[in-house]
Amino acid sequence: MELTQKFLYQSNYWYNDGLERAKVRDMSGAIRSLKHSLKYNRDNVPARNLLGLTYYGCGEAAEAVIHWIISRSIQPRDNLANYYIKRIQQSPNELERQKQAIHKYNQCLAYCRQNGEDLAIIQLKKVIASHPTFLKAYQLLGLLYLTGKEYSNARQVLRKAHKLDNANPITLRYMYELNRVREKKPIRLKENKPQTVSYSVGNETVIQPANPDSKEKARISILLNLLIGAVMGVAVLWFLIIPQIQQSKAFQTNDDIVAYSDEIASQNAEISALKTELDTYRNASEESESAKETAKSTQASYELLLKVKEQYDSQTVSNADMAESLGEVNREALGEGAKALYDTLVEVIYPSVLETRYTSGKASYDVAEYETAAASFQGIIDIQEDYNEGKALLYLANSYARSGDTDKAEEVYQKLLDLMPDTDIAAKAQKGIDGDIPEVEDTQ
Amino acid sequence: MFDFEEEIKKFQPSLEVADIENAIRDEDLTDLRDILNELLNQIK
Repeated sequence: MELTQKFLYQSNYWYNDGLERAKVRDMSGAIRSLKHSLKYNRDNVPARNLLGLTYYGCGEAAEAVIHWIISRSIQPRDNLANYYIKRIQQSPNELERQKQAIHKYNQCLAYCRQNGEDLAIIQLKKVIASHPTFLKAYQLLGLLYLTGKEYSNARQVLRKAHKLDNANPITLRYMYELNRVREKKPIRLKENKPQTVSYSVGNETVIQPANPDSKEKARISILLNLLIGAVMGVAVLWFLIIPQIQQSKAFQTNDDIVAYSDEIASQNAEISALKTELDTYRNASEESESAKETAKSTQASYELLLKVKEQYDSQTVSNADMAESLGEVNREALGEGAKALYDTLVEVIYPSVLETRYTSGKASYDVAEYETAAASFQGIIDIQEDYNEGKALLYLANSYARSGDTDKAEEVYQKLLDLMPDTDIAAKAQKGIDGDIPEVEDTQ
Repeated sequence: MFDFEEEIKKFQPSLEVADIENAIRDEDLTDLRDILNELLNQIK
């Protein structure tokens, strides 16, 4: 076999090896194998394309593009590299993002060499956020976390790096270091207490739990859990369910109130209408009653007037009795002729009656029979209030005052004051109101 | 724990997109066949 043929075989062998590794995401192993392949045959297009793809998978876009361009120059047609290059050209934003991320990563490397680790960490976080397949960025960030003893962060970052390239020596080394640090941490071991206690009773061996309180603790724990559950249930009931129920009740009550209000309003309206109707009937009834009364009164007044007229003509009845009958006549109910007759009778009967009563009352007053006197004077006042220039009223008031009925006395004094103001007799009435019973100057 | 200063030396700057042209130009495409031919030429 020719040597060059052997080189081609070797190239293919390493290509196959690289392909196998790339399939299981052993990227660094694949890159190594594919580089071997190309050392045997630089024109191995599939190996070069795969190398480019592997670099791209690790976030090294520029490296990938180099190999695809070389591949295309070797085989311009029917080359997968054309497709890759075309895809990159179709997404310029993506390429720009990766370009910026790579640039920032290189800056971070510079920061690290100038003791600017904090700044590098901040920058690297941004790098992996914008370019999530950039293996080197994860590795560098992992290294920074490791040296900064931020092991949890280091673990997270290195896991992602491991997913991108699962056999990368740098990643594996850092993970190894991380595990070593974890193993060095003291682990608190539980005290190895015996779990059971054994003892013999006769021929039998009894085994019991070592901790006698364990059952009690378990019981307490169950009770505690039940209590917590109950409290939570009550809390849920109190804060969620009851407000809901109350709200719905409030809504229902409001609806009921509105319904009742409407009903009450309609009933009120009905009552009002009925009241109005009733008032109408009552008024009508009162009017008819009044008319009836008036008719009665008119009839009685006429009858009385006729009776007095007959008595006066026959002269069989005293003036006092006739005056009494006349007093019961309702003058306003009479017609014009009857009124004239009434006035005539009054003019002839009353003066003598009034005089008689005045004389009688005065006589009773003089002998201190004040109640009798008051009755006589009251008979005068019923017919003519200002009789004898108010003296009848003054006598009446004095009679009440002297008989001890001060309220009535005061009432009559006040009546006199109102009836005849600014007169001598009014001054006397005022004196009576003030508690000093006045003398009546009477020449009659 | 490893030495950070030593470790950081292992990290090389990534190839930037702007440098692709130069990188292609500088890419060593020599393979074993080229070396073999060179050797044969020298023997001759």
